[in-house]
Amino acid sequence: MITKFSKLLGAGVIALSALVGSARAADTVKVGVLHDLSGTMAISETSLRDVLLFTFDEINAKGGVLGKKIVPVIVDPGSVWPAFAEKSKQLLEVDKVAVTFGCWTSVSRKSALPVFEKDNGLLFYPVQYEGEEESQNVCYTAEAVNQQAIPAVDFFIAQGKKKFYLIGTDYVYPQTTNLVLLEYLLSKGVPLANIGGGFVKDSSGKITNAGKYTPFGHKDYQQIIAEIKDFAASGDACVISTLNGDTNPPFFKEYAAAGLTADTCPVVSYSIAEDEFRSLPAKDLVGQIGCWTYFQSIDSPENAKFLAAFQAWLKTTKADGVVKEGRVVDSPMVLSYDGVYLWKACVEKAGSFDVDKVRAVWKSGISFVGPGGKVTTQPNMHLTKTVYIGESKADGQFKILKTFPDVYGEPHLKGTFKPKE
Amino acid sequence: MVWKSFRPLLLCTLVVGVGLLADVRAMAAPETARATIVRAILTSDDAQKHTIINSLIGQGDEAIREIFTAWRQDNLYIYTAPNGAKIPVELTGDKDADGTQAAVRVDSGEPLKDASGQPLRLVAKQLTAVEHDASLRRVMKNVVDLLDLGSPLPAKRLRAVQTIGFAQKADKLPVLEARTGIETDTEIKKELREAIALIHLADPDDGVKIKALVVLQELHNSSSYDLINALRAKAEKDNKPAVTAAAHSALLAIDHHRSVVKFFGTLFRGLSAGSVLLVVALGLAITFGLMGVINMAHGEMITVGAYATYITQNVFGAGMNFTLPFIKIAIHLPGLHLTGWAYQLYFLVAIPIGFLSAALVGIALERSVIRFLYRRPLESLLATFGVSLILQQMFKLTFGSNNVNVDSPVYLSSNWTVFDVTFDWNRVFVIGFAVVIVFGVWLALTKTPLGLLIRCVMQNRMMASCMGVRTERVNMLTFGLGSGLAGLAGVFVTQLGTVGPSMGQEYIVDSFMTVVVGGVGSIFGTVVSALGIGLTDQSLQQILLNPVLGKILVLLAIILFLQWRPTGLFSARSRSLD
Repeated sequence: MITKFSKLLGAGVIALSALVGSARAADTVKVGVLHDLSGTMAISETSLRDVLLFTFDEINAKGGVLGKKIVPVIVDPGSVWPAFAEKSKQLLEVDKVAVTFGCWTSVSRKSALPVFEKDNGLLFYPVQYEGEEESQNVCYTAEAVNQQAIPAVDFFIAQGKKKFYLIGTDYVYPQTTNLVLLEYLLSKGVPLANIGGGFVKDSSGKITNAGKYTPFGHKDYQQIIAEIKDFAASGDACVISTLNGDTNPPFFKEYAAAGLTADTCPVVSYSIAEDEFRSLPAKDLVGQIGCWTYFQSIDSPENAKFLAAFQAWLKTTKADGVVKEGRVVDSPMVLSYDGVYLWKACVEKAGSFDVDKVRAVWKSGISFVGPGGKVTTQPNMHLTKTVYIGESKADGQFKILKTFPDVYGEPHLKGTFKPKE
Repeated sequence: MVWKSFRPLLLCTLVVGVGLLADVRAMAAPETARATIVRAILTSDDAQKHTIINSLIGQGDEAIREIFTAWRQDNLYIYTAPNGAKIPVELTGDKDADGTQAAVRVDSGEPLKDASGQPLRLVAKQLTAVEHDASLRRVMKNVVDLLDLGSPLPAKRLRAVQTIGFAQKADKLPVLEARTGIETDTEIKKELREAIALIHLADPDDGVKIKALVVLQELHNSSSYDLINALRAKAEKDNKPAVTAAAHSALLAIDHHRSVVKFFGTLFRGLSAGSVLLVVALGLAITFGLMGVINMAHGEMITVGAYATYITQNVFGAGMNFTLPFIKIAIHLPGLHLTGWAYQLYFLVAIPIGFLSAALVGIALERSVIRFLYRRPLESLLATFGVSLILQQMFKLTFGSNNVNVDSPVYLSSNWTVFDVTFDWNRVFVIGFAVVIVFGVWLALTKTPLGLLIRCVMQNRMMASCMGVRTERVNMLTFGLGSGLAGLAGVFVTQLGTVGPSMGQEYIVDSFMTVVVGGVGSIFGTVVSALGIGLTDQSLQQILLNPVLGKILVLLAIILFLQWRPTGLFSARSRSLD
């Protein structure tokens, strides 16, 4: 009797809460924001949180998605990689968000991924990465290797560079990218002797690791710069750098002091965008190369509108901890922005927030003209987009040298390039 | 009569005059550099464009550089005149309210004028821009490089000679040989010899090749290594033993030279790495080594020095505003707006400022926390660790969590190259800086009355106190000195990386390691251990070609060493440490 009553009561409570829930859910939709707001990665990821909040406000001001206002659920994993799994679980199972925008480092994405796959969530990932992954629960708005690393190498080859020095920070993204680049360079007929940084071979003689690696926070680049200077003595060398943010200043200070310049031995850095330049010695970096799918200096009406709207939002926003002065935008920020609009377009075409339906629309190919040009979704969960190569200027902006329109995002590159005979 | 006699002369003059005119016309037939460039601009075919631009090689007209610079900087446009003629122009000067700029004709260097002779002003957006791509820029650069051969700047001449040498084009030989006759700079003369030899390497005649290889062997410059190596491989394949042997011995000479350069380079880099360690650890050698305070906030004293440098830089420049956290006092530092050399002096001014600010923070820390804990070393560890966390958050709240950059002054951002060994000025500076600081500390500790008091208080605080020494005051000053030295380190490390709230953490382990290996309580030990660790680290990096592995081996060696000698290299006997 008591059990029956409590059951009834329980059912009533559930029904009631569902009613209240649905009443509230009728005009809002919860969206997760999974970025580090403290710890070592906060410097980079706080900017992504800011641009996401800006995008939500912009969409809400125009009536929201399917008539529902976006309510962000912001969590902070604190630059602790396992916390990405826990926070993902919280977003998906407790808050029940419709979609999540988040992650920067590959290791954080790899940590969150199993949770998203188990609970069938949807994660939008905006930062350039190493590829070799294609989860049905991740929308990769990020640059794949063929949308960043390879165009930059092509650019150097076209400039007559014959020797390539590979250097990076010791973790999964640089290691994987450099292996792909090694295969690519060999396929272009660059002899192994002209690829610098060193190799590790396994017992069968197969190269398992290419390039020079330094740990996070490494400061002493004297020896490596001396090696690069020797490598570049013949005047036709360039450096391909996947060094992580805070190791770049010591690297470039040493590079400049040793008398190397963009004329004698240019560097392409895959991890330096406009936002990173805020803490770099920009005048030591003039003429170095960047390769992204967006630069702040793009001259288009969409970009002008986006920049003006973002600056206006910065002035008026009341969100906590948003730095208001000296702000710039860069590729990961714009890809976050594009991601939100692509999700909105998918949801509206599907007429539902259901992950499976949204994914189906994504795979069918949806386009959005963002600040960096048109982006189109692909069946392999990546994006077709325009790739730009830019040269850094003393003010920390990039001058665009080359544009490759509509590059198809291809995550699986390892083993696809065959050495030239 | 007069007329008659003059007639033939007049006729003569006329004939000569016409002849001269014809001559002038014949001389004008090879068009001016400007005209050639106009032709290149108006050609749509890329290959032809390259050919036309390449035809400029050998001309010394400075207008070429000027126009090519404008081209590369997107300042060239094509103006279509009312009669349909296409006139390439360079837009210069500032834009006015309508966005118009002054237009200069590329073909004459004169301002573009309309039919009535008035200078025209044009809007860039309404004109067709003259495009350029990487390969075109390279062709242009090649022409400019050859121009550079006559540049008054030695560095430019050097670069031009190198570029020509690596290209191995026989048609450039006469230009180089002509230059050899007039060049006075010994460095460039050497480079000219090398460039000529490199071009000879591509000569079909084996005899010329071998002679060139002998020259290259004598010069043993590592920049020619790749070309010689390629030649050797080819000669081996073509079965030409004489060339192969000559190439082989040239390569050996270069390899030998390289290893000598590497050895001295590594020695220098080891010394400088050791000096950085020494500068960073010296403060700790006093607070931990002499005083016995396990000071986990040592790293934050370094940060104080670094931020002091950052503030000094800003005051010399545009000034800065920041708000002190908690007490909410807004500080406005007006800028001095200095430029040139006066601005560059900021770094030297920052040295005493960094020392004093860190010393003051250190004294405040000693007065408020550490003086209660002299008898309880483990608690001082915990307390200073807490202080370190608090200070880091204070930096974050004051200066923001983003790292900030301190510019390298010109006198620290170049290098000397002696026998191919690069001596970076910032590295030379740190070695000198370390010598001066160590000498200063040695003087202060052994030759001053305060030094005497410091030594006696550190050896036996109770006894010194009984003898009437004001131990409290000596403690405070000693801790201030140690912290100030950390501040000096902070000033220097701004030249190695960026300044951030938690940068001190990167140095704390290295500092303790250096002091412990050297022997707690011995300044001399710290010097020896810093240099030793620096040299070992750099040599291992050089040998293993792997910075991570090198570091691991150094740490491993230190652990083993401390098993063997737990008190470090030089163990000081002191009652406070027993």
